[in-house]
Amino acid sequence: MRNVLVTGGSRGLGLGMAQRLAAAGFQVVALARKDSDALAAARAQVAQEGRGALHFHAFDLADIDGIGALVKDLRGAYGPFHGLVNNAGLGTAGILASMPDSAIEQLIRLNIVSPVTLTKYVVRSMMAAQREIGQGGRIVNIASIVGSTGYSGLSIYSATKAALVGFTRSLARELGPLGITVNAVAPGFVDTEMTHTLTGAQRGQIARRSALQRLPTVEDVAGAVDFLFSDAARNVTGTVMTIDAGNTA
Amino acid sequence: MSVRPIILENIVRIAQQQKKPLAPLTDELPLLESGLDSLCIAILVASLDDSLGVDPFDRDGDVAFPVTIGDLIGLYEHATA
Ligand SMILES: NC(=O)c1ccc[n+]([C@@H]2O[C@H](COP(=O)([O-])OP(=O)(O)OC[C@H]3O[C@@H](n4cnc5c(N)ncnc54)[C@H](OP(=O)(O)O)[C@@H]3O)[C@@H](O)[C@H]2O)c1
Repeated sequence: MRNVLVTGGSRGLGLGMAQRLAAAGFQVVALARKDSDALAAARAQVAQEGRGALHFHAFDLADIDGIGALVKDLRGAYGPFHGLVNNAGLGTAGILASMPDSAIEQLIRLNIVSPVTLTKYVVRSMMAAQREIGQGGRIVNIASIVGSTGYSGLSIYSATKAALVGFTRSLARELGPLGITVNAVAPGFVDTEMTHTLTGAQRGQIARRSALQRLPTVEDVAGAVDFLFSDAARNVTGTVMTIDAGNTA
Repeated sequence: MSVRPIILENIVRIAQQQKKPLAPLTDELPLLESGLDSLCIAILVASLDDSLGVDPFDRDGDVAFPVTIGDLIGLYEHATA
């Protein structure tokens, strides 16, 4: 079974992606600081269905210095990795002028420094594993539509998501000769814990402003990731898939 | 354990995989003229880290990049000694 690491796979969008990729036959390692009941239930279901596999691995991605050792541990436990989904992220909102410096630093660390460092070590591991499993691999970065549109109160968050898109495009060029694809998925607002502070009225307004008059779901975003990991997407790289029910159309 | 044959074998494999024509490998051959590009060298360093457990370049830039194939082998011989 080919291994895929999904960061932030314990709940929300990441859990949906982890379940979907396991159902597609991958051995998925869902990484987060703590396990969740929802992930435990998903693991039981995957085990019962007998297709793919789903595991949990605890790690705090704010520990940048520990990422190299994390990737070595994962490789030791599961073997070489075929794919990585950089999904874990913070959604801290706040007006820039009144945001504590430490919150700015924390957001940039978790949403950018951490995924690019993790990608570095996973790519090294993919390079080293070529002899065993041949060329190829998939990397998907979870960005956001606010990386290219704009939303008051999300300036730092938006900056990190735009940065991920720039990272995606250049890395796709760099890793193309290895047959590794690198893409981004940019969801619109989806109901998860990250967006629970939005009021019903704000949700309604976002839905009304979307072409399809509704919000995308976790399953919609997981479906896009599933596609990017499928054989059908073997010639898709360096691009951004927007899943927003037409909010930015 | 001799690292020399491991390094040479990896260089040949990676160049083949990346379809880069290799110059005859001698200790005096400058890396820049070997046929390996920067991606090939990154793959080489990652593969050697995996098989030998060392990365002599992983020390925040205080290692001078080797000029020749012989220098590269020497660096790994030193790191694994
Ligand atoms: N929801 C949306 O509307 C929306 C829209 C566009 C883009 N996105 C992006 O989609 C991604 C997932 O969002 P979501 O809404 O699913 O978020 P979520 O429900 O808040 O889940 C975040 C996940 O990341 C993990 N995580 C958080 N901090 C971590 C850390 N320091 N180390 C390791 N794992 C950590 C969490 O587990 P632990 O807390 O246990 O660590 C959890 O599994 C994010 O990158 C977000 O920016 C979301």
